[in-house]
Amino acid sequence: MTTMFSTAFRPLGSDRIDPFLVVLWIALIAIALIWVAPIIFIVFTSLKTNADVMGTGAFTPPPELFTQNYPDAWQRGNFATRFANSVIITLVKVPVGLMLSAMAAYALARITLKGKKLLLLLVLFGTMIPFQVMLAPLFTLVNSMGLLNTRLGLFLPYIAFGVPYQVFVLHGFFKEVPHELSEAALMDGASHFTIFRRIFLPISLPILAALLILDFVSTWNEFAMALVLLLDSKMWTLPLSLMVFQGEFGSEYGPLNAAIVTTVLPAVIVYLIFQRYFVGGLTSGAVKG
Amino acid sequence: MASVHIQNARKTFGDSTVLHDVSVDMDDGSFVVLVGPSGCGKSTLLRMIAGLETISGGDISIGGKSVNRLAPKDRDIAMVFQSYALYPQMTVAQNMGFSLELIGAKKPEIATKVEHAAKILGLEPLLSRYPRQLSGGQRQRVAMGRAIVRDPKVFLFDEPLSNLDAKLRVQMRAEIKALQKRLGTTTIYVTHDQIEAMTMADKIVVMRDGKVEQIGAPLDLYDRPANTFVASFIGSPSMNFIEGVVANDGKTFFAGAEKLGIPIPLCPAQAVGKAVLLGVRPEHIVIDREAGVPAEVWVVEPTGAETHLVVSLGGAQVTCVLKERISLQEGQTVPLAFDASLCHFFDPQTTLRLV
Ligand SMILES: Nc1ncnc2c1ncn2[C@@H]1O[C@H](COP(=O)(O)OP(=O)(O)O)[C@@H](O)[C@H]1O
Ligand SMILES: [Mg+2]
Repeated sequence: MTTMFSTAFRPLGSDRIDPFLVVLWIALIAIALIWVAPIIFIVFTSLKTNADVMGTGAFTPPPELFTQNYPDAWQRGNFATRFANSVIITLVKVPVGLMLSAMAAYALARITLKGKKLLLLLVLFGTMIPFQVMLAPLFTLVNSMGLLNTRLGLFLPYIAFGVPYQVFVLHGFFKEVPHELSEAALMDGASHFTIFRRIFLPISLPILAALLILDFVSTWNEFAMALVLLLDSKMWTLPLSLMVFQGEFGSEYGPLNAAIVTTVLPAVIVYLIFQRYFVGGLTSGAVKG
Repeated sequence: MASVHIQNARKTFGDSTVLHDVSVDMDDGSFVVLVGPSGCGKSTLLRMIAGLETISGGDISIGGKSVNRLAPKDRDIAMVFQSYALYPQMTVAQNMGFSLELIGAKKPEIATKVEHAAKILGLEPLLSRYPRQLSGGQRQRVAMGRAIVRDPKVFLFDEPLSNLDAKLRVQMRAEIKALQKRLGTTTIYVTHDQIEAMTMADKIVVMRDGKVEQIGAPLDLYDRPANTFVASFIGSPSMNFIEGVVANDGKTFFAGAEKLGIPIPLCPAQAVGKAVLLGVRPEHIVIDREAGVPAEVWVVEPTGAETHLVVSLGGAQVTCVLKERISLQEGQTVPLAFDASLCHFFDPQTTLRLV
């Protein structure tokens, strides 16, 4: 603790406390508290009996651990089906989308192509349209394709809305990869596909990991599009099932919060797995020649 | 191994022509250096040979076969880049074996060839390291190893030493030359450094503004530069050029505005009675107390081994490199003489050499 304080508030190599660093730390801690508060509330509530929820403060730890909320929530929310729906959609969409983005970004960054600028602009345009605006036309489109209530019907719009941002980020990165690196590989006999797979993908692993985390979380949590395109509750994903909890069990906060924890947990696990990788990648200087 | 022939090669980027009808013949097994100031098109020419740039006109052939329409990988050449361009996520051994892996060579074969190349370059202890764990000189060697492993017909180097410090540069210069002699592979080497060109090349191609100024063996260029550009580019410090007129008897040169008479008994016949540019290398000027012409000393620079003088000779500024140590002060006069057989005469209009 003493060593932490002796370095945290001082510029490197100085023994005077820098007030700006103190302000930074206070801001950091305040922000962390704001973010952590609802999580604590949710976890605590998910472990309380209904009586305890009413009888104790929101941030009071559960007087006794009541785990029955979890199996209850699982059953009432029909999680067996919905969890599977979410898993299938996410596990297919995230890797496929990321690969498509990476390939498109490589093509835009490295292949000589007439009208490339226009294509890139078109893709960037995709990042600027709020998807809420597109919900009604999207419904009509998916309906006309006969894909309402199907996984494919959700998968295709997810890809369409996920790809532009990823292409934007990856294109920015690929563009900065030294040309000599591609050219050396070209001289070594590599095709574009080999250069993409053996050179570009490995050196962009940290960025791919970051995009994967972001995309996993946003796909896993996606609500509005799923709500519009999945009318049949058998096809629902996890976020939609939470909506039902609020309607049916309005006063039963225990099961609701258990359902929330169950929904969020996979995203947290994925984040923990890949963030290590992504931080490690950035600090190992993988990109430097 | 193969010879390389470049016939009227042209390169245009949009409206600007970067190479104008460049023709060079390179013999099998020779070490050819493309040299010239920055932006003269050396890299572009090298990249056209490599297949990294298209050929706008003319023909390039390797081993007697035109490569104009061949992809880089089908030309059987290897290139060492200025930035080394090592694959950052591969070890030294993987970097070196990558090309073999891509043609489907078996693992033991790759390992043997990589080890062989590593041995030649002294890279054996580094084979499992990553590029970021290597010094500049070591990276340079790995880049060369990557080229050697393939046993190509031609090696291409684009300013491979320019990122190294001066001492290492001199050492690598000798190593690359020795390696080339040992392997006997035709090598094309780009540099802007005339010392590198002089010390390494069998044949130098001097370029300027996308044109070839002169092609020849290093000492030929030094002894008989075709024009004032080559004359001043090759050799350090640069050749002195003195404007003046050759006397009608062809034995005296009147230098500069002051028409200072300098006895040069061997002026070429075309120069007699004409205005010319006299070219004299700094190292070909000597102090001659009997026959020397007086020159006023402007700057004295002792380097230890030599003494560099900047003098005024009939109003023209002239640099001299004297082998002996002499104590001179600025403002003094010193009697200087030129060896007539080492003087060069150029036409002041065309800048071409007068034979
Ligand atoms: N891709 C390109 N597009 C337009 N001009 C180029 C390109 N590559 C090189 N040039 C121009 O060609 C000329 C020669 O370049 P380069 O061959 O790199 O010279 P250097 O002799 O220094 O290696 C330069 O004027 C440069 O600006
Ligand atoms: Mg260059």
